[in-house]
Amino acid sequence: MLSRVAESLFWMSRYFERAENTARFLDVNFNLLLDLNNITHTENPNYWIALILVTSDRERFNELYTEYNSHTVTDYLVFNKNNPNSITSCVSLARENARSIIESISSEMWEQVNNLYHYLQSVTPQLVHNDPYSFYKEIKSASHLFQGITDNTFSHNEGWDFIQIAKYLERTDNIARLIDVKYHMLLPELHSSLEESEDSTDIVAGSVDIIQWMAVLKSCSALEAFRKVYLSKIDPDNILRFLILDRSFPRSINFSVCAAEDALWRISGSSRHRYVNNADRLIGKMEAELSYTSIEDIYSKGLHLYLADLEQRLVKIGEQVHLTYFAYHTPEIEPQDADEALPFTGVAGGRANWSQAQQQQQQ
Amino acid sequence: MTRFFESYEADPSRFFDEVISKTGIPRQHYDKLLHRFGQFSLDDIKARRQIVNIFFRNQGITFTVYGVEEGIERIFPFDLIPRVVPANEWQTIEKGLIQRITALNAFLNDIYHGQKILKDKVIPAELVLGSKHFRREFVGVNPPLGIYIHVTGSDIIRDGEGNYMVLEDNLRTPSGVSYMLQNRQAMKRAFPVLFEKYKIRPIENYPQELLHTLQEISPVSKNAPNVVVLTPGIYNSAYFEHSFLARQMGVELTEGKDLVVNNNKVYTRTTRGLERVDVIYRRVDDDYLDPLVFRPDSKLGVAGLINAYRKGNVALANAIGAGVADDKVIYSFTPDIIKYYLGEDPILQIVPTWLPSKPAHLKYILENLATLVVKAANESGGYGMLIGPESTVAEQEKFAEMIVANPRNYIAQPTISLSRHPSFFNDSEIFGCHIDLRPYVLYGKTVTIVPGGLTRVALKRGSLVVNSSQGGGSKDTWVVDE
Repeated sequence: MLSRVAESLFWMSRYFERAENTARFLDVNFNLLLDLNNITHTENPNYWIALILVTSDRERFNELYTEYNSHTVTDYLVFNKNNPNSITSCVSLARENARSIIESISSEMWEQVNNLYHYLQSVTPQLVHNDPYSFYKEIKSASHLFQGITDNTFSHNEGWDFIQIAKYLERTDNIARLIDVKYHMLLPELHSSLEESEDSTDIVAGSVDIIQWMAVLKSCSALEAFRKVYLSKIDPDNILRFLILDRSFPRSINFSVCAAEDALWRISGSSRHRYVNNADRLIGKMEAELSYTSIEDIYSKGLHLYLADLEQRLVKIGEQVHLTYFAYHTPEIEPQDADEALPFTGVAGGRANWSQAQQQQQQ
Repeated sequence: MTRFFESYEADPSRFFDEVISKTGIPRQHYDKLLHRFGQFSLDDIKARRQIVNIFFRNQGITFTVYGVEEGIERIFPFDLIPRVVPANEWQTIEKGLIQRITALNAFLNDIYHGQKILKDKVIPAELVLGSKHFRREFVGVNPPLGIYIHVTGSDIIRDGEGNYMVLEDNLRTPSGVSYMLQNRQAMKRAFPVLFEKYKIRPIENYPQELLHTLQEISPVSKNAPNVVVLTPGIYNSAYFEHSFLARQMGVELTEGKDLVVNNNKVYTRTTRGLERVDVIYRRVDDDYLDPLVFRPDSKLGVAGLINAYRKGNVALANAIGAGVADDKVIYSFTPDIIKYYLGEDPILQIVPTWLPSKPAHLKYILENLATLVVKAANESGGYGMLIGPESTVAEQEKFAEMIVANPRNYIAQPTISLSRHPSFFNDSEIFGCHIDLRPYVLYGKTVTIVPGGLTRVALKRGSLVVNSSQGGGSKDTWVVDE
């Protein structure tokens, strides 16, 4: 398979997954605010700051908006074209990548990417504001449909494996960030301000806490699956155990890392104890650690630090996938150091002299 | 005459109308079509328009308009009323094109080898050797099977009497064949009943024929030579077509950066290392193919490709330097070329052409700019053109200056009233639009033409320019057996 085709499959899949996860972030926040409406002060901007913190975009956001509220944050994460991670940007980039390999994917896959793109062109901020539930559901369904179409119309060989790697690396990263939203909400500086206008009795604080954790589960569509395992014992330890370490739920970190590892090994022919490249080594290491980690180990490191470290290592894995399969025989674009790697770019990044090539094509 | 067509005004005294004869009676091969369309109300037609639009949008069949910021992708305008070409007329076109393309290939082979036609003074040598697309570097190079023009699309028009004539040849990288194929798919979805009423010759085998032609020129004889399509990339206006053809043929679509030359052999960069390439169907112009030989700033080509080609390690379709034969100045000599190489009279006529480089012609051209069409010798896409009857005096003066300054670069022709065909674009009324026809000719061990081609339509009322970049559209073209 052409390296360029593999790379575009990878980024198409990754951007699609990212769009879905951003929809989930936002959806869960709306749910949360509805649930908390009677208990706490939901106009508090901190509920919205957390969403921006979790996407590590505070600076860019502050350049564009002056305050944090449902309108500005929704605009930034759904519509803003200057935010490369907004839903609109992600879907456009997924489509651009798909368009550049339209002959390699199935027509049904292309139609689905294209449909979502055209749907988004027709959506107004007003529509999202009036009925956020339907809008985010539409995005999630579109992504599920795309995955289903891909599984059923596209040969399960190398190209499909690149799609899986991208999907699960992105998902792992996003679950980690999502759990981190909760962490950010509990940051002392935010936490104190969240509670200052409330009767901060333990009972209220406790129920706010549970509701927030339930929202995190819901955003991973994990509430029902969680209950089947832990019944109604909703406490933070169990929730984290489920979202990070569960091996069967498709939106847990452990499951996603295993799935990405399977796909990487299918491509390279690696097997346990016999990795053939660095991408395989790093994913194998991550998987092994997750398998033997307990929630207490994670606490002893500190939840936030643990997640931040996980995100960093995912970046490294993405970088190694790039060097092993996409940058083949093009040493000139190898990054000098890890900071220059291309973890969140795809079509628009990593291509030298892009604008000149574009110019020439038009002649 | 039926209700859907009631409002149509053919004006057969001024134009050759494809559907309505001079006496005002519909031509026989349109009877069934007129009958069927006559059963439709405007709403029926609109419903079918919807089917077609969704089909094109879902397929991503769009073209790119340069110089427009917003909405750079547009759906190619599609006319719901198909063109019907009876089998006997098609036979003339087919024979004429096979004759013409065979002669032009012989001409190229001669120009890049012995140059006999120049020595015999059939064409002034300076016109050929001075052509912008003549590639001195390729004199003496032998492309596989001696074929230069594997894929061509000559534009055919009809004059006021309905005679088919060749307007120009496209011997480099003619585009539009994907629209021909997709137009047919769209029509089948929207008008299935009509397809039962006519015996329409199929065109769906074009991609297989193309692949077959490309495999035939492989320099290495193996069971399945590795054929790739080379595109300038996603921002090229014909990108959809490049990817469409690659998909239909089941071969890789590559960009310059996917290819690498090592030891005069061409390879693709894959996730598992390098893979040898045998044949490249390139949709990149000569100038951008190889920065080591042509434009050094090209990012679209492959360094070393030309040397690999010269060594015979890879085949290119079309061959380098084919453009010298579709130069509009050389066009005026094509009847002589056919006669010279084949000893036959041309089956398809060309449009009378004056060359400013001949003093007598120059005088005539300058005196008659108001009635002539002036074209730049090496432009395509309807750019660099003066249509005398539609031009202002200032434009004519500007062209007069340019012609005098650079006579080799221009030709002049009488303004031909292209034939007209009823068209239905804006979903409210039918009116006559000028059309042409571009059949696609494949030249491998034999010369083949799929029956039909792309009928392009000048959408603007009265306009004679059919190019998509100038607001043209297209319609399905049916070659029918009685």
